[in-house]
Amino acid sequence: MTGLIEGLAFVYQPLNLFFLLIGVCGGILVGALPGLSGSVGIILLIPFLYYMDPAMALLMMCGMFCGSMYGGSISAILISTPGTPSAAATILDGYPLAQKGQAGKAIGVATIASTAGGIISTLCMIFISPQLARFALKFGPEEYFALMIFGLTVIASVASKSLIKGLISGFLGLLIASVGIDELTGYARFSFNNPNLMTGFPMLSVLIGLFAFSQIFIELGNIGKKADLYKQKIKGVLPTWKEFKQLISVIIPASFLGTIIGIIPGTGGAIASFMAYNEAKRFSKNPETFGKGNLIGIAAPEAANNGTTGGAMIPLLTLGIPGDVITAVMLGPLMLIGVRPGPLLFTQNPLVINSLFVGFMTAQFLILILGFISVKVFPHVLKVPVSILFPIIMALCFLGAFSLNNSIYDMFIALIFGVIGYFMRKHGFEVAPMILGVILGPLAERELGKALIISHGNWFTLINSPIAIFFYVISIASVVYSMIRLKSMRKKNIE
Amino acid sequence: MIKNEIIYGTLFLLISILFFALTFQFPDITIALSPKVFPRFVSSCLFILSLALIFQGIKKQIQEKGELKKLEINKVFIIRFILLFVFAVIYMNILEFLGYVIATPLFIAISLIIFNEKRWYIIVLISILTTLVLYAIFRIVFRVPLPRFIFW
Repeated sequence: MTGLIEGLAFVYQPLNLFFLLIGVCGGILVGALPGLSGSVGIILLIPFLYYMDPAMALLMMCGMFCGSMYGGSISAILISTPGTPSAAATILDGYPLAQKGQAGKAIGVATIASTAGGIISTLCMIFISPQLARFALKFGPEEYFALMIFGLTVIASVASKSLIKGLISGFLGLLIASVGIDELTGYARFSFNNPNLMTGFPMLSVLIGLFAFSQIFIELGNIGKKADLYKQKIKGVLPTWKEFKQLISVIIPASFLGTIIGIIPGTGGAIASFMAYNEAKRFSKNPETFGKGNLIGIAAPEAANNGTTGGAMIPLLTLGIPGDVITAVMLGPLMLIGVRPGPLLFTQNPLVINSLFVGFMTAQFLILILGFISVKVFPHVLKVPVSILFPIIMALCFLGAFSLNNSIYDMFIALIFGVIGYFMRKHGFEVAPMILGVILGPLAERELGKALIISHGNWFTLINSPIAIFFYVISIASVVYSMIRLKSMRKKNIE
Repeated sequence: MIKNEIIYGTLFLLISILFFALTFQFPDITIALSPKVFPRFVSSCLFILSLALIFQGIKKQIQEKGELKKLEINKVFIIRFILLFVFAVIYMNILEFLGYVIATPLFIAISLIIFNEKRWYIIVLISILTTLVLYAIFRIVFRVPLPRFIFW
């Protein structure tokens, strides 16, 4: 409890609150603009984070994370284009409502649901993560190694449309990570005596390339396509009291559903929002109104996808395994600012954790306030032309890549990985598993090395721990599950 | 038209073989984990997965026999892509020589043009303003040593 007060004192310093506000605003913006998502938003923050206090930087990233999750709903409602993948379910009822001239109310409900989802998941995060961290403190290298394997397989198998492509992407990431000096023995692998290669590929440049530059190249292909605009006036933001009572009975279970989905690594807002939508429809007395502009059809997915935010932070903070794509992207910058997620964070750096808890909660209220203040501005935000936006983003990304090591080589790496990322994304290889490979690869190898040193080179030590075996089993189970899932999806498509 | 699964599968197959072959140059170090182990494990997995991908592609190719799809090539897009890449490389190379404040507005202006921005005043305004804002934040506030020309 004293910890939380310490966190309060930190977050409510004017400067820190200001950075949180910038994070949330930026998040809503990148979320609302189609083509930019929360992960790109986090990457755009990288150059700034380097010069900030770790707790402050973390606040800003959290603001970005929560804001972008909410922002996606705006373009979904107004122009039927999800700003982020998690907002796809919001279109189903949001867009019909906007067509009827009730865009204001739709955004109002999305705002309330997002805030409620965020608050509930933040509470879950505050209660669950310290317990989980205490449990994870017992983990040794064997358990950590198993955990890394789990993180990799789960994200590769769930995040991708094709299991093989997802896994290939992950293994390519691991291969990229193995370039450079090996931590255990000091041998420079695959570096051909080139000093640049000896230090390995700079992780953050790879991140900037794979997510941001590849998006810039993709946008090049969209030039000339007419952007959709919402031309009607926005009025009447608040739902009536009767509607509100109905909504709240959906929002609360949907928020919990979102939180639970968020905790499971490899899932994320998109899965949670569709599940919540389907459940809300199933339990509704008149399911036929869904898809025609039912407010519940907006509230359920929005509560669920914002519910995943706090949920996804739990495995990231306590185990160092990201819960979804955006938290996977957050791992890189976190290491940059010297915050190594994991159970030790709770004992060694309590201020970071406590200010994160308070900041996360504050971010939800900022979303509520900002959402209602700027309802009328949103249609204009969507008018920002691609032709101006992306050159600016490109300049910022280049500067970001440069400023990390003051080196032009890092800029070049970002550009090259941008091209690689473009081709991969164009042909169905998701880049998130690759990033995870790049980040988790060295950690996994280090833990494996440690385990082998302790056991004097006995490989059986890896299966000596019940917790480790548990992680191996669920890794295999998740791969098998996604194989079955993909097969049944294909069958449905054929029919 | 060859399925892209086959193309990518072959590419990744070659990469995995290359990396595996390179590990033979590594010295044998016996403390704990030899540096060979991890890359070898990863490249073997990649090898198997690439084979699976190629197999998938061949299966698709046989199924879709006869329906020859024409690949849509958007020429304008390819030209834009290459131009943006080339100018980005040029930008990086002249950055040290011209300094950040001169090279960056030029690069932003060119990328605005590549992104099909036609209004000249927007191009001038955006390229100069963006540079100034970035310069102010990073050089003045964060004190990042940006590449500079003689005077600033």
